[in-house]
Amino acid sequence: MNDCADIQELLGRWLDGELGPSESQAVRSHVDSCHECGEVRRRLGKLQLTLHSELANEAARIEFMPFWREVQRRINLKRPWYADLIDLVRDQVTAPRIAWSVPIAIVLVLAALSLDFYLPGWRFGGPRNNFASVVSIDAYGRDVALLREDETKTTVIWLYQNQEGDNEAGEENSNSGPAF
Amino acid sequence: MKLVKKIPIPVLLFSLFLGSFLGRGEAAEKNPQSVQVTIRTILAENKGDEFDPKLKGMEGQLKSLKYRSFRSLKDESKTVAWQGTQAFEIPGGRTLTVAPQDFQDNRIALKVRLTQGDKPVVDTTVKIPNKGNFILGGPAHEGGVLVLSISGAVQ
Repeated sequence: MNDCADIQELLGRWLDGELGPSESQAVRSHVDSCHECGEVRRRLGKLQLTLHSELANEAARIEFMPFWREVQRRINLKRPWYADLIDLVRDQVTAPRIAWSVPIAIVLVLAALSLDFYLPGWRFGGPRNNFASVVSIDAYGRDVALLREDETKTTVIWLYQNQEGDNEAGEENSNSGPAF
Repeated sequence: MKLVKKIPIPVLLFSLFLGSFLGRGEAAEKNPQSVQVTIRTILAENKGDEFDPKLKGMEGQLKSLKYRSFRSLKDESKTVAWQGTQAFEIPGGRTLTVAPQDFQDNRIALKVRLTQGDKPVVDTTVKIPNKGNFILGGPAHEGGVLVLSISGAVQ
């Protein structure tokens, strides 16, 4: 503890009153008996005194009232409308939120694609094709017409009675012309 | 259990959703147990301007046919077992046989055969939207023509 290097390291804290009683006593005893450490203490003391006096002079010249007035003015200042928007956007684009948004976006896309399964009849991007579609037809030699009526989404298969024996006996020919 | 706790919640939710999304394919292909088939037999004529009030719901569909009067002759509904067959008696000694074939993309494939006595008139397979219909018309009957509305709804 009496080594000069150790004592000089503690000098600053000692002068600031930051050391405990036993350490203060040890430093004081060494400084009183050691010329070199006594000189360091004197220089430090002088520097500390100069700093204190300079700061005291500067502080006296500083006017704090304008500073506090400006602080108060900025506290009371009404925020522009876009300031809240900027804050909101800043909150939304922080990293944790982006990490959440990626799987959520994928889930939403898959959900949209699955809606037809969970809600039969729903179709993404427009109305479903509600027309009946004819896969195959065999009218055994008769003429057949297919009609798709857009307004009511109706598919019509029309059979023309163009063979002998098709019409019921004695009936007038009711299908000589197109039916639609 | 420790492993489950380490998986981030978004990844866990996403995996669950993906599992249900992939699992739906098998369910979508599953055919229903039966189909409710309804045949409405209508007589269309060019005599008079009668429009049977019973056909109110089909007015738009029937108006595309160039006939002046429409009269409901018969309505008949039957439950047809999946890939089974049901016969419907149609006026004029005709028989309409309906057999559900397939159900995909919310559409029912119906195999329909119209016969008159022993003679086949038409054989067709039509895919209709579930709870939708199509019209088969043209056979002559009582001075007019028969219009058959054939609809199906899965059960």
